Amino acid sequence: MSEYAVLGKSVPRVDALDKVTGAAQYGGDVHLPGMLHGKFVRSKHAHAKILNIDTSEAENLPGVRAIITQDDVESGRRVFATDKVLYLGEPIAAVAATDPDIAEEAADLIKIDYEVLPAVQDVMEAIQPDAPRLHSDDTKDGSARRTLKADLRKLERDDSQDHSAQIAELNAQLEALEDEVYYNISAETHSAAGDVEQGFAESDLVVEDTYVIPRVHQTYMEPHVSVADVESTGKVTVWASTQGPFAIRSGIAGTLGIPLNQINVIPTTMGGGFGGRFGVALTHVPAVLLSQKTGRPVKIQMTREEEFTDGRPAPGCVIKLKTGVKNDGTILAREGLAFWDSGSVSGASIGSTIRLRGVYKFPHLKVDAYGVYTNKSGTAAYRAPGTPQVAFAGESQLDDIARKLNLDPVEFRLKNMRVEGDPVPAGAKEPKVGYKETLQAVADAVDWKNRTKGPNQGWGVAIGDWTNGCGPGGMFVSIHEDGSARIFHGSIDITGTDTALAQIVAEILTLPYESVAITRGDTDSAPYATGSGGSVVTFTMGNTAKLAAEDTRRRLLELAAERLNTDVESLELKDGEVSTIVGDPPKSIGFGELAAYSLSTTGGPIVGKGSFARKPSTPALAAQIAKVEIDPETGRIKVLKMASSQDVGFAINPMAVEGQIEGGTVQGYAWATMEEMQYNENGNVNPGFVDYRVPTTADLPTVESVIVEVEAPEGPFGAKGVGEPPITPTLATMANAVADAVGIRITELPMKPEKVVDALHSNGK
Amino acid sequence: MQKKPVTLTVNTDTYDLLIEPRKTLLATLRDVIGLTGTKEGCSTGDCGACTVIVDGKAVTSCMMLGVSANGKEITTVEGLASRDQLHPIQQAFMDKGGYQCGFCTPGFIVASKAYLDENPNATEAEIRHALGNNICRCTGYTKIIEAVMSAAEVMRNS
Repeated sequence: MSEYAVLGKSVPRVDALDKVTGAAQYGGDVHLPGMLHGKFVRSKHAHAKILNIDTSEAENLPGVRAIITQDDVESGRRVFATDKVLYLGEPIAAVAATDPDIAEEAADLIKIDYEVLPAVQDVMEAIQPDAPRLHSDDTKDGSARRTLKADLRKLERDDSQDHSAQIAELNAQLEALEDEVYYNISAETHSAAGDVEQGFAESDLVVEDTYVIPRVHQTYMEPHVSVADVESTGKVTVWASTQGPFAIRSGIAGTLGIPLNQINVIPTTMGGGFGGRFGVALTHVPAVLLSQKTGRPVKIQMTREEEFTDGRPAPGCVIKLKTGVKNDGTILAREGLAFWDSGSVSGASIGSTIRLRGVYKFPHLKVDAYGVYTNKSGTAAYRAPGTPQVAFAGESQLDDIARKLNLDPVEFRLKNMRVEGDPVPAGAKEPKVGYKETLQAVADAVDWKNRTKGPNQGWGVAIGDWTNGCGPGGMFVSIHEDGSARIFHGSIDITGTDTALAQIVAEILTLPYESVAITRGDTDSAPYATGSGGSVVTFTMGNTAKLAAEDTRRRLLELAAERLNTDVESLELKDGEVSTIVGDPPKSIGFGELAAYSLSTTGGPIVGKGSFARKPSTPALAAQIAKVEIDPETGRIKVLKMASSQDVGFAINPMAVEGQIEGGTVQGYAWATMEEMQYNENGNVNPGFVDYRVPTTADLPTVESVIVEVEAPEGPFGAKGVGEPPITPTLATMANAVADAVGIRITELPMKPEKVVDALHSNGK
Repeated sequence: MQKKPVTLTVNTDTYDLLIEPRKTLLATLRDVIGLTGTKEGCSTGDCGACTVIVDGKAVTSCMMLGVSANGKEITTVEGLASRDQLHPIQQAFMDKGGYQCGFCTPGFIVASKAYLDENPNATEAEIRHALGNNICRCTGYTKIIEAVMSAAEVMRNS
């Protein structure tokens, strides 16, 4: 877009120098005088009653300053396990000592007596009546029982006639459906459009499968860390590596009963988050408690092993899926039933199950989803939470259908995609969208129609959809006496967003990019900003930046009109000056002069303000095509080509956008082929990078990113949120490529070599 | 725990320290000397965030004790740039967008330097193999490889 001077350019990021020199300060780099180090005492069992906690030996270890348990939490909110532990690694106590090694030694000296209880790790076992139960009041009805109960309620409410016979009949049916009572249920959600039974009846082909997607860890490279310092006045300061400092502030306030104005959260540079770095529970609250008790600053830094046992990873799930189509490839109906593994607390991304509808028309749709308690840590968001899982199921099944009907998988998808104005099943109408353009773009990039393949090679295509979130944000833009500008705000830079904000402000103020500096405040100083998750920042803070820059421009124009003895309407901003639009001779005045002048005006210094809350977001599509080669002896999947397109609305910084596409695609590839948190009866068994494999440079070639720009009407300069969509299709992209290569459909991830070999054998290959 | 005397040369500065034998080189660099550019990502030698150069070889400093580094020369990310100029690898990571959150970046840059010093004519495949001990979760590696390849060229031509 050549109309812009700064936008649409791959300028280096504002934090580039700090990050390549090691100067950037992350959470773990905070070191305060007199600082103590905290370590947790964690459950050694997946499910057990706590009979006794003996801290006496640990208390006597030199260097130990405090030991806390749930008894020390005056608010009564659960921070530590007391009566019962629900997963391996659950915190029972915490120690603060003068040295991290001493704290660890002390934690080992704390003796816990347990009565071990049976545990359940598999969601399909957990919903059975004989499964160990984590919580009481946890049963829910399946779909047929829900319908029967709704019918019963209707009959019971109707006094106009006697329904007792019918009621008895329905009650009998209910009893016969005992196996549709699900146990250990943490949450449920249901949506429907049309009539799926009718849809399946009208279909020429109905396909049914069950898909199993593992729990995976976000694996941000910086483990959770916080430093808390509680002053004698009670004022709490927390240095936190977090996606949402304001959420951390309210979380600490709510958990510990401290007023918001007594808590300052100072966000540090964040070593990756991907959705997993919002919660207060892991380190922030325990660090505050230890600092309250010792009167000293306390740092708690989790180890990688603790990340795996007590992090909040992405939920695994089991999805039963049924899709009906006509022989000509018209999709008619889809029914999905998902059981999400929410671990020991509710909170899995079950709301995303509705995305089983993809971006297809589906006249008939029914989606039921349940969160299921198991003896694992709770879950959190991970890059388009819930969507990679459901897209894996939905897009794998469509691929099988295309193959059965002998349809080109790209054409089949294009034929059924929604366009602007189409009704979204169980939703509103589609706004302006670029679904077809995005899929077509990736197909063109690999020359799909002319693709060729050798033995054991295959091509896979899949799509995933996502809509960026939106939230409140505030920002100030000041002009300095030398004409440079400074942005002040409170949102966390999530891999390049600060750079995008600086580009937006520079563009509007006609300044060089280098003349705009950006500062992040803490929660005591900065205006509120929504958390950096849900692809929200560029959309929300970008709109905020636009408003703040426009407000700054307004003030510049007013001041210039005063100085140049003219009116605002005859002035414009140009190259860091305010100039007359027409005029002979042309007159202009620099921002620096105006800033200096402003200091002696009644209006005061130039401070533009932007405050923003909500505008409609526009859905975005990611589409991918992979070419793979399978080694039939070892089962190894080698990626020969990976192309990834995404509708980003408008790429404010194309290099940063490509980075998001590449990174998300590789995370999806890893989920498809190698990543899986494994559990046995006693909990997680692969809490480290040797047994939990993530990709390295050696695993796959260059990702070819293809940027598609279908403008978002309410996005800043048309931009959409970029971070999350690229992970959504990849699980299915990879599975579809494997299916094309060797004719096996793997429905249970990850496709580790042994699984591929097994599938080949069972297929007689 | 009884502390031991240790002498380390870090980025041309010499440090005479008293440290506990259980402290890793990583903890010594970060907590004792105060050079926090080197990062702790896993503590098991598997992620490479703590990579430093010890007597010319890339080492994961979480797997080496501080006392074992006695008398050795250590280069950390802080020692790569001169007062007024970045190392070509740092410049390339900046220009090519070879980092995002930046937490793994010091380890990648230091590991790349150790490898390119040893093999200035490295091919892409060799670089991909050599950097296989370093984990980056943000970039998908595409731009990291581009950066190292382009830095190698700059280093060869200078």
